[in-house]
Amino acid sequence: MPLTDDATILVPVDVSTTEPPDQVILDLLQPVNLVVLGYYPVPKQTAPAHLKEDHEAEAAERLESIVSRFARGDHEVEDVLVFTKDRQDTIDRIADQYDCDAVFVPGETDAIDRILVPLRGDVNLERIVSLVGELVRASDATVTLFHSVPQGTDPSQGEFVLRGAADRLTEEGVDRDRIDWQLSEGGSPKRKIIDLVADYDFVVLGEGEPSLRDRILGAVLTPILAEIETPAVIVRDIE
Amino acid sequence: MSGGQLERNIGFLEAMTLGGGTMIGAGIFILPGIAAEGAGPASSVSFLIAGFVALLAALSLSELATGMPIAGGSYHYVNRALGGFFGSIVGWGMWTGLMFASGFYMIGFGQYLVEPIPFLDGRAFVVLLGLVGLSLIVGVNYYGTEESSQLQNIMIGAETVVVLAYVALGLFFIDPTNLDPFAPTGPSGIIATTGVVFVSFLGFEIIATVAGEIKDPSRNIPLTMILSVVLVTILYALVMIVTTGVLPYQAIGDSLVPVSDVAVVFAGAVGVVAIVAAAAIAAISSSNSSVLAAARVNFAMGRDDLMSDWLSVTHGRFGTPHRAIVVTGAVIALLIAVGLQVETIVALLAEVASFSFLVSYSLVHVALVVFRRADPEDYDPSFRIPDVLYPAVPVLGVILTVVVISQMAPIIIVLGLGIVGLGVGWYFVYVRDHAVDRGLIDEAIAPTTDAYRVLVPVANPDTQRGLIRLAAATARAHTDEGTPELVAVNVLQIEDPDPQQNVAAERLENQRDLLEATRDIAAEMDVQLRTVAMTGERVDGTILEAIVDEEPDQVLLGWGGTLTRQGHVFGPNLDSVVEKAPCEVTLVTLHDETIGTPVALAGPGPHSPVAARRAADFATVDGTVPTLLNVQQPMADGEAAARKRGEVVIEDVAEQAGLDPEAFEREVIVDDDIEAAILDTVNRYNTICVGLSERSAASRVMFGTIAERVSQEATSNVGIVRGSNES
Repeated sequence: MPLTDDATILVPVDVSTTEPPDQVILDLLQPVNLVVLGYYPVPKQTAPAHLKEDHEAEAAERLESIVSRFARGDHEVEDVLVFTKDRQDTIDRIADQYDCDAVFVPGETDAIDRILVPLRGDVNLERIVSLVGELVRASDATVTLFHSVPQGTDPSQGEFVLRGAADRLTEEGVDRDRIDWQLSEGGSPKRKIIDLVADYDFVVLGEGEPSLRDRILGAVLTPILAEIETPAVIVRDIE
Repeated sequence: MSGGQLERNIGFLEAMTLGGGTMIGAGIFILPGIAAEGAGPASSVSFLIAGFVALLAALSLSELATGMPIAGGSYHYVNRALGGFFGSIVGWGMWTGLMFASGFYMIGFGQYLVEPIPFLDGRAFVVLLGLVGLSLIVGVNYYGTEESSQLQNIMIGAETVVVLAYVALGLFFIDPTNLDPFAPTGPSGIIATTGVVFVSFLGFEIIATVAGEIKDPSRNIPLTMILSVVLVTILYALVMIVTTGVLPYQAIGDSLVPVSDVAVVFAGAVGVVAIVAAAAIAAISSSNSSVLAAARVNFAMGRDDLMSDWLSVTHGRFGTPHRAIVVTGAVIALLIAVGLQVETIVALLAEVASFSFLVSYSLVHVALVVFRRADPEDYDPSFRIPDVLYPAVPVLGVILTVVVISQMAPIIIVLGLGIVGLGVGWYFVYVRDHAVDRGLIDEAIAPTTDAYRVLVPVANPDTQRGLIRLAAATARAHTDEGTPELVAVNVLQIEDPDPQQNVAAERLENQRDLLEATRDIAAEMDVQLRTVAMTGERVDGTILEAIVDEEPDQVLLGWGGTLTRQGHVFGPNLDSVVEKAPCEVTLVTLHDETIGTPVALAGPGPHSPVAARRAADFATVDGTVPTLLNVQQPMADGEAAARKRGEVVIEDVAEQAGLDPEAFEREVIVDDDIEAAILDTVNRYNTICVGLSERSAASRVMFGTIAERVSQEATSNVGIVRGSNES
């Protein structure tokens, strides 16, 4: 159980290699509870129990050293070690089991000054905004809220969504002058977001509904992730 | 931090393509020729019989696999149930069986690629192509691949579509005259053909070998095994009817590529191309699954100490069991190369593989019966063969296996028995000295003995030795009731187990550690020792569960000796066991290695006689004589009278305990301060046994003041004893 009401973010790390977490990310995740998921990828040829037998000690040690870098007094850091053939399976299961609000996706960045928050109408809006609030409240980062409406729709509707989100974010304790927004009309929202991301250091995405194809052939959390290199968090759609 | 978890990643669809895919695989493209030659149009009946035999095995295997959903398949269940001797036979049988099957698929692969090209002819080329295909498979598996179910699903899907199209179109081209005579070789020909085609039904076994990785195993394992066997059997029977119906069976019998020969009749060149492509994919994927399964069997054997660990070492970078894969591949290559010398290599490989698996499955049926009879605590299958079908399924399974094997060619029986002999030889050369598991046969033959039984929950490797020694001593004191039995229980605490997590493998690991730790103790003590590893959300609840199942006469628990005050007496894991266990309970705090001379407090408490008996039990550890101690306050009638009163109490307690008057010492102390006198005296002894005091009406654990002070202040070993709850 988390010590505070603050959000819990799942941070997956590959414990088959030694990759220390970025200082920037450590700082960013300071204000939330963490579940550090050390996953050890298992090839199809090998039973997970088999690799566990050979590598458990070493994997546990790596995970421990990573966790110790995340550790801090006021928020809880839990850790789990899993031997898995499919990290996505494991991320979904652990996120569920530990009631995580969001999942961290690593990427490359030097500093986190500009954060992009694409919004899909009311879906998950409350959860996304409150997580963004928690993350940036104590920092100087600026937040850009993004929303896209189909061609020919009354733009005031989109503006309504964005203004509401900005108001909520201000209530969360983020200065109004650190918040701006962008409304896009028509075109593919996915394309637009991917183009925009290049100018930002961090993205907060809402979890999408898996399509039927995703369900049959294995879900891709969100196709945007495949095309960006920026670190991100995916806010889970728990309802 | 708790240990690493094991994720289950194989879903329903992947399990179906793994099992069904391997079955639809190469068998369906290569075997119709051999089958038609052996039984004519009635070969469809051979497939139905083979499918039925496989279904029986799938039923038994489903129950075992949901009871123990971990890697290893049939081998593991047979090894657990019947011990290392049969474990070795099935382990080697499955390993070589998968090699033979894989060789068979790759020869078929060569045949399909070579035949349609008229100017390339000859066995050399078939063998060469088979070897090329094999090296591809071995190479890929050496370097390792991700669980890319998409590709697998698409390939198996395409292959299935081709086979379905073949059946659907072919049905319209059946010439009824071809189906007459239906069974030219008679019943024995049909049965003999069953033996050859049984190799096609290996796929469901592959589901069992990866049981540790299947999501929601209690649902998916039985469903995919049974469904894939049923669907494939129907499909195979239809393919045979089409194949022998479109062309006379004599014409197909000569063919190495029967299905494409038939397809050309009604689907022309397009049909041939489709069939060849599907056959090639099928052969590769079936062979690939076999190599994978072989490596799993190998790992499982290494895990159970039936195989050298050298073989199952994983590659430092790729994480694959590369040695097992290379060795498996090398043997398959040899088998393929034999094709240069032996013309009937395809049938030979298929039939030897069938033999090996038939032997394995008959032992699986036996294993099921053993598990049902022994009913170990950790065996709680979520799929059970329905009562109306048990024991019909295992009995019929064994009978049919014997019938099918009896109709095999002598050379196959010789080769098959050679493989069995390999397993037997391996047992004597290697397994006997390495493996610790003795199987469940003894328990299955005499599942409920009336002998005295002591249950010892163990968790801490430092103290378990001492606990087991004491428990063995108390058990040994009851030899007159039959060979006493000691049950060491280890509880792996897992909160809220997720069906997607492989908990069974962790439990097995614990079981193994427990076995190894207790093996020496069991050897030096003259008691039967069993080990049980259980998982549960709560330690106390799980121990109580074990007590209900095992019905022990006594449960002996280790206790750190610290009293907790936050709502518990002995601690959260012990209280409810002490309170609720229907049998006698002994809580032991070990301060000293020596059990030496025990003393029991012979007082007025209801559990004094049990404490006295326990002291007598403990005395047998070092061959000492126990003392019964009573302390009296001097009354007006003087010290001698008090001493007399004490002696009366001691005799009374001893009589209730059933102790031989010659077999214990008596000590009576007269003192004003009873408690102080007791504490002074007991520390002169190595071990103290004291009864719990009266239980209150609310049935909560009551810890008498004397017992409490002894437990807290004594420097000797302390046993706190509670009698049986049954009044």
